[in-house]
Amino acid sequence: ENSPAPLPERAIYGFALFLGSWFGFILYLIWAYIPETWLFSLGLTYWPQKYWAVALPVYLLVAVGIGYVLLFGINMMSTAPLNSTHTVTDNYAKKQQQKKFQEEAIPALRDIPISEVNRMFFLPEK
Amino acid sequence: MAEERRFRSACGAPIALRRRQHSASCRELAVRGPRLQLRSLSAATSAVWLAAYGLFAISENSVVLSAAIFVSLIGLIIYLHFVKIDQESLLVIGSLGIQVTSSYASGKESTTFIEMGQVKDVVINEAIHMQKVIYYLCILLQDPEDPQGVSEVVPLFQSSKPRLDCLIEVYKSCQEILEQRKTAPQSS
Repeated sequence: ENSPAPLPERAIYGFALFLGSWFGFILYLIWAYIPETWLFSLGLTYWPQKYWAVALPVYLLVAVGIGYVLLFGINMMSTAPLNSTHTVTDNYAKKQQQKKFQEEAIPALRDIPISEVNRMFFLPEK
Repeated sequence: MAEERRFRSACGAPIALRRRQHSASCRELAVRGPRLQLRSLSAATSAVWLAAYGLFAISENSVVLSAAIFVSLIGLIIYLHFVKIDQESLLVIGSLGIQVTSSYASGKESTTFIEMGQVKDVVINEAIHMQKVIYYLCILLQDPEDPQGVSEVVPLFQSSKPRLDCLIEVYKSCQEILEQRKTAPQSS
């Protein structure tokens, strides 16, 4: 029962999130732009330093940029090197059971060893 | 009986494959890469020396110039002795084993010998290498416990990286010799 169709609850969550994000954005603009003295005169004194209004977006953008490079590096590190047996076989292929060959039936799916594949591709059939 | 054919490496550089048949069960296959070009050597040296001269013009310290000369000499020697492989060869002797030799530009040769009892097969494998999928020839070593298993993979021709057409030639030559050990009488 996991369909992406619209439901009343989803509409309410969506609207609440929409209002919440607008409220957060207006609050951020007020904090960043209105001078401290005006906020103090209203009685709102416990704000973080305005330094963070610029620093946090910069941190976020630099993190996104570094994330690209990091993901690239993680991919390169997880690729199996050319001398590892993972390029040839893996646990599932080692433990596979051989099904008996039945006449006139499609053979069962299995992992063909690389020697056999090579012989089929590269040695001409006599 | 020797013959030489030209091919291309995975990055497009011209390489040459030389096949020699010493006897019915002994073959040598050698892949030669391009030699060090004079223009790339002079380009690298000029770049280093120009950079050093620029630093000297800024800092007025003549140690920079002698350091640049020293660095380029040592760099060239290290490159020729440890990095630049001129020729990689494969010597397959039917009942004995396989010998893999790399010859560096400075004349150094590094050799590995694999006994025939340990060799399961010589195959062309495809793998992902630095944002590319390349074909490479490799020796599969037998797992002592499991007759169907592969204990280790030894990649060959790592620095010249021939393309598939060259690899198929080498593969066919090796398979002709490896098939003989199945038909030959087993001696323990």
